[in-house]
Amino acid sequence: MSSHREAPEISKDPVADSSDLYAFVSPDLPDTVTLIANYVPLQLPASGPNFFEFGDDVLYEIHIDSNGDGRPDLTYQFRFRTELRNDKTFLYNTGPIDSLDSVNWNRRQFYSVTKVDAHGKATVLAAKLQCPPCNVGPLSIPNYGKLANDAVHKLKTGEKVFAGQRADAFFVDLGAIFDLGTLRPFEDKHLIGKTLFKGPAKAINATNQLNVHSIAIQVPTHLVRRDGTKKVRGRDPGAVIGVWTSASRRQVQVRQGDKKNDDIEVGPQVQVSRLGNPLFNEVIVPMAQKDLWNSLPPSEDKRFAGFVSQPELASLLPVLYPGLFNNLAALNKKKTPRVDLLAILLTGIPDGLVKDFQNNTGAIQADMLRLNTAIAPAKVENKFGVLGGDVAGFPNGRRIADDVVSISLRAIAGATVPLVDAKFKPDAAATAVEQGLSIKDVSAKPLAHFPYLPLPLDGFDNPS
Amino acid sequence: MSHVQYGNRAVSRLSRRRVITIAATVGVGVSAASVAGLSVAGERPAKDDGAPLVISLRDAKKGTFDVFSGGSKVTLTDAKLAARLLKAVKRG
Repeated sequence: MSSHREAPEISKDPVADSSDLYAFVSPDLPDTVTLIANYVPLQLPASGPNFFEFGDDVLYEIHIDSNGDGRPDLTYQFRFRTELRNDKTFLYNTGPIDSLDSVNWNRRQFYSVTKVDAHGKATVLAAKLQCPPCNVGPLSIPNYGKLANDAVHKLKTGEKVFAGQRADAFFVDLGAIFDLGTLRPFEDKHLIGKTLFKGPAKAINATNQLNVHSIAIQVPTHLVRRDGTKKVRGRDPGAVIGVWTSASRRQVQVRQGDKKNDDIEVGPQVQVSRLGNPLFNEVIVPMAQKDLWNSLPPSEDKRFAGFVSQPELASLLPVLYPGLFNNLAALNKKKTPRVDLLAILLTGIPDGLVKDFQNNTGAIQADMLRLNTAIAPAKVENKFGVLGGDVAGFPNGRRIADDVVSISLRAIAGATVPLVDAKFKPDAAATAVEQGLSIKDVSAKPLAHFPYLPLPLDGFDNPS
Repeated sequence: MSHVQYGNRAVSRLSRRRVITIAATVGVGVSAASVAGLSVAGERPAKDDGAPLVISLRDAKKGTFDVFSGGSKVTLTDAKLAARLLKAVKRG
């Protein structure tokens, strides 16, 4: 998946597991950027009586690097606290919930937002903001949309925030891809698949009809830029920001059993999850180092550059799809460093390689979602982003409808090599390969306004 | 400090001042931890407000302790204290 359960340890800790990160210039408010970090992946909508929530013992953060050193210049921290209104019932709600302060809503969650500057100075922007409830069903929550809108909070400092349940808008044919790299539209060309299948098949979105918990923040663009300016040219290095999210837990936890209230959590925060570019830890980093990667800041990513320069998946494609990736195989055989991938994932694309585009942050190799904040939102989005001629999409940040799986596949297959080597001719398959899905394969529809991700699917109408 | 077990309330009732006092008495080395991935901007050490702290004897031979308090970790070296603790839990 993008980063759902992408490493052995975090796959056992869903509350702290970052699954997707989005960063884009807000299409309806282009003087702001929207940053969304999803956690608690793969939620079945029908999950009573204990519906999903953020971890009270997890520190969630969204980081912004504005000077290219792979370290945060601005961090938004989110800390959650759960309150039980009625300790005599087993129910999440004892009647319809028609407002955020409904007495029928038993288990509510609140959060604080803290802003930390480049010098480590922390300022609490809001202390007790409310999350919406999970979408139980139409009997429990007759008007979920209104309730969710009420949970969008405008801060005095200019930011807009939301934290709560949403439908997962990520689309991936997980069942096929991790069955020895099968792509259903090309399954009859697969090394083993050609003995099993007579022709192509339609892809299936494995994450459809599942919910996540999202932390979304919309920030006036000048607040995230290095020099704080409102107007900047796209070629200006100051237009580019690097974004990542992380989740941390206290280093020590002491459980007291029946004296639950005496549980102890002390010590420094230890990072247990990280996400910048989609799929980085999932398909670039070897399994033996995925947990390590999750514990490190982007400024340490130089040590993983070798896996980007010679990605394992690039060596697998010619084997899995015999005859379709011959040029890629020749490139692999020469052990040519994949400078194109190093740029896309670790430094950003320099000016001059793609017309009217750059998102370069300098020489320091760091996995961050790099967004050129001076590039206006596209009037008509292309799901292949920069590869499809739409420079407002991935890998220029990431929008909700971007097909990051197919973009990454094409890049790894060699479609982006000509950016750095004009003599290289990509295989025809490299520019045609895709998973065969789009945002249309997501049942819940994204919103045209903040927080953009679709309303969560309810349990009554999505029972399995 | 007659009986110390990790996870025991006896440990958490120790104040930070009490631990530092013990450390100072036996002339231990004290250093704040600085490890990649362990420090988060905005996290500050707790004041001595009676909040729990946890002591971990990381290296019994050298007497290296990690003391966790609030959002911080301090490393102490005290071989004598380590020996007393090991004796208390019948490992010494």
